[in-house]
Amino acid sequence: MKNTKEKFPTKTSLVLFYLKGSVHFFLLGVIFSIGVAFLDMVNPKIIQYTVDYLLGDAESEMPVYMQIIVNLSGGKEYLKTHIFVIALIVFAIAFLCACFRYFNKLFNSMAAEKLICRMRDVLFEHICHLPFAWHSENHTGDIIQRCTSDVETIKMFLSEQITSLFRIMIMLILAVNFMLQIDLKLSIVSLVFIPLIVLYSFFFHNKIGRAFENADIEEGKLSAIAQENLTGVRVVRAFGREKFERERFETKNKEYTKMWIRLMRLLAAFWTSNDMISGMQGMAVVVMGTIFCVQGNITVGEFIAFVSYNAMISWPVRMLGRVISDMSKAGVSIDRLRYIMNSEEENDKENAITPPLDKDIEFRNVSFSFENGNTEILKKVSFKIKAGETLGVLGGTGSGKSTLMYLFDRLYNLPEDGGSITVGGVDIRDIKMHYLRKNIGLVLQEPFLFSRTLYENIGITKKSAKMEDIRKAAKMASLDETIRNFDEGYDTFVGERGVTLSGGQKQRTAIAQMLVSEPPIMIFDDSLSAVDTETDAKIRAALDKNAGQATTIIISHRITTLMHADHIIVLSHGELVEEGKHEELLDKNGLYRRIYDIQIQGGGEDIA
Amino acid sequence: MPEKINLKQTKATRLPLFGLPRLFPFLKPYIPKILTMIFLACMVSLIDSSIPLFNRYALNNYIAKGTVKGIGYFALLYAGMLLVKLAMDFTSANMVGEIEMSIDRDLRNAAFNHLQELSFSYFNQNNVGYIHARVMSDTGKIGVMCAWRMMDIVWNGSYVLFVLIVMVTINLRLALYILALIPIAVVLVIFFQKRLIVLNRQIRELNSAITGNFNEGITGAKAIKTLVVEDKIQHDFTEDTEKYRKNAVHATHFSALFTSSVTMLSSCALALVLWRGGVLTMEGVMEIGTLSVFLSYSLGILEPIQNIIVTFSELIAVQVNVERFIKLIETESDVADSPEVIAKYGDTFNPKKENWEELYGDVEFKDVSFHYPDGTEYVLEHFNLKVPQGTNVAIVGETGAGKSTLVNLVCRFFEPTSGEVLIDGRNAKERSQLWLHSNIGYVLQTPHLFSGSVRDNLRYGNPDATDEEIWNALRLVSADKIVERMEEGLDSDVGEGGDMLSTGEKQLLSFARAILANPRILVLDEATSSIDTVTEKAIQDAISVVIKGRTSFMIAHRLSTVVDADIILVVKDGKIIERGKHKELMKNIGGYYHQLFSRQFEEMEAKAI
Repeated sequence: MKNTKEKFPTKTSLVLFYLKGSVHFFLLGVIFSIGVAFLDMVNPKIIQYTVDYLLGDAESEMPVYMQIIVNLSGGKEYLKTHIFVIALIVFAIAFLCACFRYFNKLFNSMAAEKLICRMRDVLFEHICHLPFAWHSENHTGDIIQRCTSDVETIKMFLSEQITSLFRIMIMLILAVNFMLQIDLKLSIVSLVFIPLIVLYSFFFHNKIGRAFENADIEEGKLSAIAQENLTGVRVVRAFGREKFERERFETKNKEYTKMWIRLMRLLAAFWTSNDMISGMQGMAVVVMGTIFCVQGNITVGEFIAFVSYNAMISWPVRMLGRVISDMSKAGVSIDRLRYIMNSEEENDKENAITPPLDKDIEFRNVSFSFENGNTEILKKVSFKIKAGETLGVLGGTGSGKSTLMYLFDRLYNLPEDGGSITVGGVDIRDIKMHYLRKNIGLVLQEPFLFSRTLYENIGITKKSAKMEDIRKAAKMASLDETIRNFDEGYDTFVGERGVTLSGGQKQRTAIAQMLVSEPPIMIFDDSLSAVDTETDAKIRAALDKNAGQATTIIISHRITTLMHADHIIVLSHGELVEEGKHEELLDKNGLYRRIYDIQIQGGGEDIA
Repeated sequence: MPEKINLKQTKATRLPLFGLPRLFPFLKPYIPKILTMIFLACMVSLIDSSIPLFNRYALNNYIAKGTVKGIGYFALLYAGMLLVKLAMDFTSANMVGEIEMSIDRDLRNAAFNHLQELSFSYFNQNNVGYIHARVMSDTGKIGVMCAWRMMDIVWNGSYVLFVLIVMVTINLRLALYILALIPIAVVLVIFFQKRLIVLNRQIRELNSAITGNFNEGITGAKAIKTLVVEDKIQHDFTEDTEKYRKNAVHATHFSALFTSSVTMLSSCALALVLWRGGVLTMEGVMEIGTLSVFLSYSLGILEPIQNIIVTFSELIAVQVNVERFIKLIETESDVADSPEVIAKYGDTFNPKKENWEELYGDVEFKDVSFHYPDGTEYVLEHFNLKVPQGTNVAIVGETGAGKSTLVNLVCRFFEPTSGEVLIDGRNAKERSQLWLHSNIGYVLQTPHLFSGSVRDNLRYGNPDATDEEIWNALRLVSADKIVERMEEGLDSDVGEGGDMLSTGEKQLLSFARAILANPRILVLDEATSSIDTVTEKAIQDAISVVIKGRTSFMIAHRLSTVVDADIILVVKDGKIIERGKHKELMKNIGGYYHQLFSRQFEEMEAKAI
């Protein structure tokens, strides 16, 4: 579906979109940073005038702001006898500068945090609304990386690199300006080093960036070896392969260490040589400054001030090359986010409706294949389910049974030429998606629990779920007793950062979760596979009793689970090969019978 | 029972001298390097701190006197010093890097190797993520601490020391003014640093919560859509990001105050020097060059002081990592070979295979009582069982009933609390763990493959197996078709943890792996996962091939396995309540086994007939 034009055709358009709501904070931050840079430059000037006018007798032009300061503080002669006033001025400027610095940092951080907050919110919202097909096409790890480290890179780019680039430029311009005021020749001595330092640092960081990436990859490999060893500890021990594992780890560890030592050698060479260039610059200024000073071109105060200015720019100049080279990485990150942001969200037809769904369901000639795959997952599958009845679906791995249900729940889009699925005669493509999904309770084969309490997990679909409702659903799913045996009962925290439940417990939680919302259509996609036979039977009995009116679809490869259904269909390689009631299917002597025989012989039935 | 997750508190208890004494064995090989590094750091800071003295010399001897005589030598000396500094800088930076990475490497090896010998109770009590972090991230942090942080402290410390010495030497009175400011700076830095550490920890926690949220939103996309809870999830997400934003801004507010007040303080130092120094210079007591030195120092001394304090607080933060690492290294294995056994049979990494006896396959439990190290309730009491070579033992019971206990004892993953397990008539403790393990084949319920090729995986238990032997093993378990279908055959990559294969395929390959190892004793944990009937049949056939002629213990879920077994042990609530052959057990109508077995048969038959 790569139709219409992209929402964010260029990198800039996406950046501007993200910057909404934070840009004025950035501007305020920049304004204060100009203030900081300017005030920082004033101190050496004050020292210069102190030395020249008060200690020596040299006379030279004074800029307007210095004249104002001098006049305000009582004139030159007064200052000569009251040097502490100068100290007070330095102190006052320092105070002002500290305030500016504080506001600069604060505004910048407010901007940066607002920005990252917006980026995350927007991304998350967008991802939530992307079609399921998109999710299955893209690797989870990759998307998460885009949402975390790429977001971080862009935040760094906008809130640190761009702003420090700006700050460094302003500082440089101001410093150069002050230096030029002192002496042109000496300025040239100092400034010739700048392009050298910037370029050197730029090329180095460009090069070292790739080396760092390689080192990261190596670290990942080493980390994976440790991870696999730990998860497979039983296999390692049972085959007595500790020595092999040790050698493997030590070899990789050695390589990894060597790589880093080499990398650090490069870094050391760069830092020290760059330090050297800066040191040479400092030395050239001192030596040449001394000569000019002795020749009378500059005053002692000017010499001292110049040395200070030179020291001030030395660090920012060294940063400049690095900032520029780091900035080039941001472009890649922006494009990686643009990919997500430009993917199209799932949406309804214009006049989507919300008809009652407790009606007969019909699948007519349903065919489906994935966009990039050429094999057909489903081939012209047709069947009917009467309202309130139970349908059993039997099929092996890859038979298309889950896909069939995903099409019904509109997790995948049924193409216009792929047949039709109707509920009470209404095509599901004309029904509001969220309405449809709310009314179809689909219990997934591999249930997903959220990082919340069991109570919140079961009641997640209902805002105002009461404890009674939750427990009622849990009881039906044979889960209530299990939960009450936990130390914290329904308040037990589960999911990624909580207690790990067994496969069967997870499946039962998912069933309870679905039951809470009491949907008119219920689908169990192999969702009793990890539950033992006894519990399976109990749950089915409870469902029959309490949710009798709901239309139910049960998918399983376990015959005992299906055989009580009103109607059973058998899927094989995307085709409907048999259908009928349990007894009829047994008489047909087909696939159903074969699977039944294997299972009743004891081939695949669980006893525990 | 839900598995317990390790939520160890990350509170730092202070170790003496930052835990360095306990890390000493790891530092020992690098002591000459560390001492050289310290020496070089001192020298570099000496040079760094003497640079303003060159300016002073220029001011006092050339500018004040109005001559440039000898400035060539001055420049030469200056440049020479820079070169010396360059050489020392380069050497010390290299050394620090090498020390860091070497210590890092040694720590990782030590942790990893120690883990290879730790008993299973450790792995049951600590989850993989927790252990993995000990091996990969704690070691890195300790390496940085032992190298860079030490270097930082030495450099900054000696810089401050040299500057103070120079200041006191050239003008005591002026030096005292700056000295008076230092305590204020120290108090200020400590005040802010303490709060910032807490704030930053909170921010890191919130940040990982947000990453977790992303993870949930993406991996749980299917569930979110089918449950139609997009709005709720999104709402909770924005609450978290907003909380993060507020905390982050609050933390910046503190750190901005911090940097502002520190720079403000150095301006105070500057103002003081300008005032008192200015007066002294006007009075002619002090030379202009000396004033300029003081001006430089007053601006430059506070940053190193700040660095020292920040470094110390980082050192304190690393204590948690040191402690956890030491704890891992010092954890002792519950199952360990005695020195006599090691002397005869060798240890885990240096086996003496020439002394190994052949294992025949008789197993006997003699008056065995057992409880898990982390529990007190006995799961076996005075248990006796003879398993002659070639016997198939099936263990049945409900999920979580404790079926793996026996298997853990046979493999000596745990040792009996009392009584003994005899292998070929001798106590298992009399021979090394590696000897036993080299003769045991183990097929897990959730098969584990290592990343690498199919061949590497199949040869895991028998590194010398030829391709022909591999193909034979594959054919025996009918897994040859799977490998043939793969593009590169035996060289095909199985992906991380084997995730390029389906569970059923992994299961079959792990059977082939077990056959290739040709073990005398075989332990099988049957799969309960959702595999379709046809694949299940294949696995079923594979099992019957594999167990033929071998002593086998099987945690069984399928009827056929149970029916054909030589001995069936029925487990309930962690205890063995019935034992015997299928026919014998079925005679006990109303018994637990009879119940288990008949339950679904009745259901199926009732409907079918």
